[in-house]
Parts: sequence; structure tokens; C-alpha cells
Amino acid sequence: MKLHVKMLALALACLIVGGVVGYVIGSTIGVVPMVEYERIKSAYDDLSAKYNRLISDYNNVIAELNALKKPLKVGFIYVGPVLDYGWTRAHDDARKYLEQIFPWIKTIAVESVLEADCPRVIDRLILDEKCDVVFTTSFGFMDATYEAGVKYPDKIFFHCSGYRRRANVGTYFAEFYQLYYLNGLIAGALTKTNKIGYVAAHPIPEVVRHINAFALGVKEVNPEAKVDVRWLFEWYNPSKAREAAEALISWGADVLAFTEDSPTVVEVCEEYTTKRGKPVYSFAHYSPMLKFGPNSCVSGQLVHWEVIYADILSKIRAGYYTNKNLENVDYWWMLREGAVELGCDYGVPINPKFIPMLKEKYIDHPEFGRISIYDLVMKRLEQMSEDTVVFDPFTGPIYDNKGRLRVEPGRRMTHDELWTIDWFVDNIIAEVPR
Amino acid sequence: MKIRITRYLRIERRGELGLMGRILMKILAILLALLFSAMIFAISGVDPWYAYTLIFVKSFTYSGLTEIATKLIPILLCTVGLTVAFKAGVWNIGAEGQLLLGAIGATWIALFVDVYDQLRLPLAILVGMVSGASWGLIPVILKVRLNVNEVVSTLMMNYIASGIVDYLVYGPWKGAREWGFPYTDKFPDTAWLPLIPGTRIHWPTLLLSVLSSILVYILLSRTALGFEIKVCGQGKRVADYLGIPYGSRLIIAMIISGGLAGLAGVGEVCGVHRRLRYASSISSGYGYTAIISAWLSGLNPIGSIPSSFFLAFLLTGRDIIQVSLGLPFATSNIFNGSILISILIVEVLGRYRIRWGRWTI
Repeated sequence: MKLHVKMLALALACLIVGGVVGYVIGSTIGVVPMVEYERIKSAYDDLSAKYNRLISDYNNVIAELNALKKPLKVGFIYVGPVLDYGWTRAHDDARKYLEQIFPWIKTIAVESVLEADCPRVIDRLILDEKCDVVFTTSFGFMDATYEAGVKYPDKIFFHCSGYRRRANVGTYFAEFYQLYYLNGLIAGALTKTNKIGYVAAHPIPEVVRHINAFALGVKEVNPEAKVDVRWLFEWYNPSKAREAAEALISWGADVLAFTEDSPTVVEVCEEYTTKRGKPVYSFAHYSPMLKFGPNSCVSGQLVHWEVIYADILSKIRAGYYTNKNLENVDYWWMLREGAVELGCDYGVPINPKFIPMLKEKYIDHPEFGRISIYDLVMKRLEQMSEDTVVFDPFTGPIYDNKGRLRVEPGRRMTHDELWTIDWFVDNIIAEVPR
Repeated sequence: MKIRITRYLRIERRGELGLMGRILMKILAILLALLFSAMIFAISGVDPWYAYTLIFVKSFTYSGLTEIATKLIPILLCTVGLTVAFKAGVWNIGAEGQLLLGAIGATWIALFVDVYDQLRLPLAILVGMVSGASWGLIPVILKVRLNVNEVVSTLMMNYIASGIVDYLVYGPWKGAREWGFPYTDKFPDTAWLPLIPGTRIHWPTLLLSVLSSILVYILLSRTALGFEIKVCGQGKRVADYLGIPYGSRLIIAMIISGGLAGLAGVGEVCGVHRRLRYASSISSGYGYTAIISAWLSGLNPIGSIPSSFFLAFLLTGRDIIQVSLGLPFATSNIFNGSILISILIVEVLGRYRIRWGRWTI
């Protein structure tokens, strides 16, 4: 019994001491690791978050690098042959230039595509050649381009000279009317017969607008001169163009301008100037044509499609243009943006042979007073090249050749008016075919 | 028949070849052309074997075949029509113009005539065929009545037809919603030919074109009218001798020819463009292509189907050469041209034999 009690007491004492010691030890050890644990855990969480961020950054960089390694495939569809010395040639020169300056693009060009065949060619470019971007460069391709945009919503399309846009279809155009106006100033000064000819391809608003701008230039320096027009109803037909040019010359024209895709008119004028002893002057269209008329080609219109293409493609590359945001992307670029240039060769605004003649001829100008033609052209060129374009040839009052006031004094014609223009200004003696 | 060219060279007619013989000759011709074009490809720096694999593989995929079928429709219709005219001895070079008139007729119904929606398309087809036929009637009546050479008159009528189309799209029919461009407005949906989904094949016209080749085959080989037409093809005097009304048979042949070409025009405007555009974009020379196709088929309406298919293949194969091989348009033209010319050469050599050696009678 006694032993029992002793044992019990000892056990009880041990229990009490153990409990106290256990409590003390437990409380000391228990609290410290908890705090430590929290600290380590939060440090660990921080690190792992950092790690995740780094990994995702790394993945992004790798993806970007891969994207950079994969070239952007760009298809071009042309309506004419690439050697046409005009429209198609200019686009193709721009394409070749882009291949040089942008190592990250790869281009495919298809020439002489009929309007009815455009949908099929787009299919082949997208499906067979896996193009990311397709440029279609004729008005007649507009519907096909738009419909391709619907059919391939993850690809990007740009249509030249049209107006139908959607999320993945943009439009672009390098506009010449300012240059035609400047050419008109020179033509009005050079003519002795006061008869000026114009060989025109199709009676569409673009061409009508250019003829009008040219005639407005003529009128500004020579209100007596009249402009007559011959239509080809074709973009490329050198023999028809020759016929039209010769008809205008036999009517009495001694200055010719034109809108069609061959250097024929320049060649005809050179022939009359050098071989037939009857100087007829001309203005180059679209490509540098000075070499076809060193003695007769005065100035002209040159295009820099590469400026527009480079802008579009680098914005696509940078992810600024996507297949979701092209609804309102419409390039209508002129002198200010550097998409067009005055001259019959790059860097030659006026053929040096004609500069003395133009510097000696003075007129009384309502805005600038007594000024030489050369200075007037340069002044206007400067005004239209500035960031804020201070002069536009299509500023009222403008009357059509039926005597109707089309643009009120002081008002500039709007983009949409210019885009749909179908009448001639009052010093043109021809009619727009209807 | 023997023709003497020089003292040492003469050409003799061979015996008639059987069907197998003629088909073999055509295959030989194509092989010859492929060999020639292989040289062109090699000069352009493209492995010819690779080029041909690509052209044939891509042409005969499903989507490639549907594109060929789309091109086949106008060519086949014109070819079958020309077969009838050629059999009657009317050298109709005017399928192109008749096609354009068909397009004009269909456009008139589609845009400017007030009819029930259900009737619009059938009426467009009918009016298109009638316009095409009546355009063909003018030169054939001139031939029958005044003995005017139809080769010249039908050819000239093509230019007039394309002038009319251009006048219409630049003038009175210029679309109100087309920003001054030379197109009519788009046709209303009721004037659209239905397409096989996912393709550009306007199937009613395809069906009609195949049907027309069968019907014309029956007409020419099984009916009295067909026999009379073929007799007229032997000349007026033969027809007169047999008491066959020469003039009226020629007119019937030309109505069929012009009508089918007109139908091709309807197919192009109602099935492909869905509007009238300037002439050179409505027909890319289908009426002229059909002349080649008709001769390739040996003036056989059933043979027109493979021959039109072949020409459609050449036309669509052209963009494979450009798009996938990166060769210029001119190369694809050389490819097509060399195939056609070698077929013509082999055709002649199939009928005539060239003999060398001293000429003795």
C-alpha cells in the first residue's frame, strides 16, 4: 500500500514537473518556429512569384524572337505586267525596295491578274503560300479583296484605290492631283498655241480629278488656254496612246499630259520636238521618263509607294495594325507625306533644259504679285508640302464647263467630292463620257 | 493527196486514225509540249520535275479542280456552240461577241426589268440566250443573203459588242453606288446563280453546259436536222443537190451557237461577277479560247468536255506558275502556248506524212 502511494506520488510529481517543463519548453520552442515559418514562407512566395514573372517574361521573349525569325509573308497582286513603265512597275519597284530594307519580309508578286481571277489568286496566296498580308493593287480587285477579308478573318488585306474597308481590310492610295496642278502651271506657261492636250485612260473619278487639277494649273497662269482630252478606255495600249497623242498634236496642241501606263506620249513628243521640228512638250506619268524625252519632257509625277508600304508593314510588324483594327485605316497620301514627288526623274523636279525658260517668264499673280513661273511652281510645291497644307488647287470658286458654280469661293473640295468627281472645270473643252 | 514542197520533200495524207490513235496522238503532243516547257523552266532556274509536280498536284486537289470547273463552264458552252456552227460550215469567230451580248441581256433583266423574283433568273437566262443568238443571226443572214464572208463579219461584231458593253458601263448603266467607276450596280440576290457551297462553281450553268454537249451530240449524230446541218457543211451545192434548205439550216446552226455563247455570258455576269463590267474583264477571251477547244475536240460535242477541261486547266495552272514558282506571267504564257502549238503540229502530222527523197510520179 505504501509503495503504491509512493509510486503514485512520484508519478504525480513527474506528471506535474513534466507538464510544467513540457509547457515551458513547448511554449518556448512552439512560438519561435511559427514566426520563423511565416517569414520563410513569405520569402518563398515572393521568390516564386518573381520566378514565375521571369519565366513568363522569358517565354514572351522567346515567342517574340521566334516571331522575328519567322518572316512576314506578303503577297502583291498586280493588274498589269510588271514592266509596264507605269502603275504596276511602280508597285513592283516598291516591293523590291521593301525586300531590301526589311529583312523580315518575304514577298510574292503575281502580275497580269484579271479581275475575275483575283479571288482565286488570293486563295492561292493565302492557302498555298501562307501569306500573312495581301496587297491588291487595282480598283477592280475591291470586291474580291473585301470578300477575302470576310473569308480569312485572321489575315490582313490592303486594297489600293478602293473604299471598302473592314476590321482586316484597309485601303491606301498615293494621290497625284497636287502634282498635276503643278504640271498645269508649267503647261500653261509653255503653250504658244493655247491648246493643251491630255491623253487619258479611263473616265473614272481618279483620272477626271487629275485632268481637272491639271486644267486648274493651266488656268492660273494662262486663262486663255484650253485643254482637250482623248480617251483610250484602256490602261495600257501604246498604239492607241500614240494615235491619241498625234490627234491632239494635229488639233494644234503643243503641250501634252497623260494618264496611262506607257511612256508613249513622251516618246511621241520627243519625236515631234527633235525629228519633225515642231516642239511639243510632255509630262511624265508614274515612272521616271526623262530618258524617253530628254528634250521635251518637262516635269511629271512620280510615286513613292514604298513610303506607304513601309509604313503599313512596319505597323503590322509592331502589332499596331492587326486583323481587328483596320476599319478606318485609309491612306490618302500626297506631297506632305512624301508619297509623291514632282518631276520626270527622281530628284529632278523640272528638266534643267526648261528652267531658264520658266525663270524668264513672269506673270502677274493675284496672290504673289509679279512672279516667275519657276518661282510660282516652287512656291506652290512648298505650300503643299508643309505639315499644314496651306494651299489646295481645288479651292473655290470653281465652275464646271457648263457654267455651273461647283465650288463656292474660298471652300476646299472634300475628300468624298474629289473621290467621286465626274465633271470638268471650265477651261476643258471635252466632256466626261456618259 | 500529195503535196510537193520541194523536189526532195513532199507531204502525203495518211489513212484515217482510229479513236485510240487520235487520243494517243494528243497524249504524244502534250508530252512533247511538256518536254519543251521543261527547257523553259530549266532556263528560268526552276527544276522542271519540281515545277510539274507542283502544277499537277495543285491543279488536281479538290479546290484546284473546283477552280478548273468554274473556268470550264463558259469555255464548254462556247465550244459546244462553235462545234454546231463549224459543222454547218459557218466559221463563227464571234462567240466572244455573242457571249458579251448574253451578258448584256442578263444584266438588263437583272437590273432594269420589273418581274417577279422567282422569274428573274430564268428570264435572265432566256433573254441572255436570245440576245446571244440574235447577235449571231446578223452575220449568218448577211452570209446567206448577200454572201458576206462570216469570218470577217463575226470577228468585227465582237468589237461592236465590246464597244456596246463599254458604252453601257461608262454611260447609261453606270452604277449609282459605284463612285463613278465603270461598273453597273450589283445584281439583286434573286438574279444570282446559286453556287456549290465553298466553291465558285455556278452549278446550274455547269449542268446546262454538260447537258448541251450531250444534246448537241444527239442532234448531230441521231437526228435528221443534225444530218442536214452536216451536209450544209460540205457546201451549198451539196445541200442544193440533196434538196436541203441551205440558208435555214445555217441560221438554225448559228442560233444554237450564239445562244450557247449567250448562256456563257449569263453565267459570267450572274454567277461570277454579279454585275456588268467593261468588256475585257467580263470575258477573258473565252470566245476565242473556245475556237481552239473546238478544234482540239475534233468538232466532237462530247470531246468538247475534255478539251474544255484541258484549256481551263491551262488557264488556272497559270497562277500556280506565278504564285508558287515565282515565275513571271510570260513564262506561263510560253507554257500554255507551247502546249497548244505542239498539239496543232502533232494534229497535222497525224493526218499527213512527210516523205523525203527524190520526187517521182
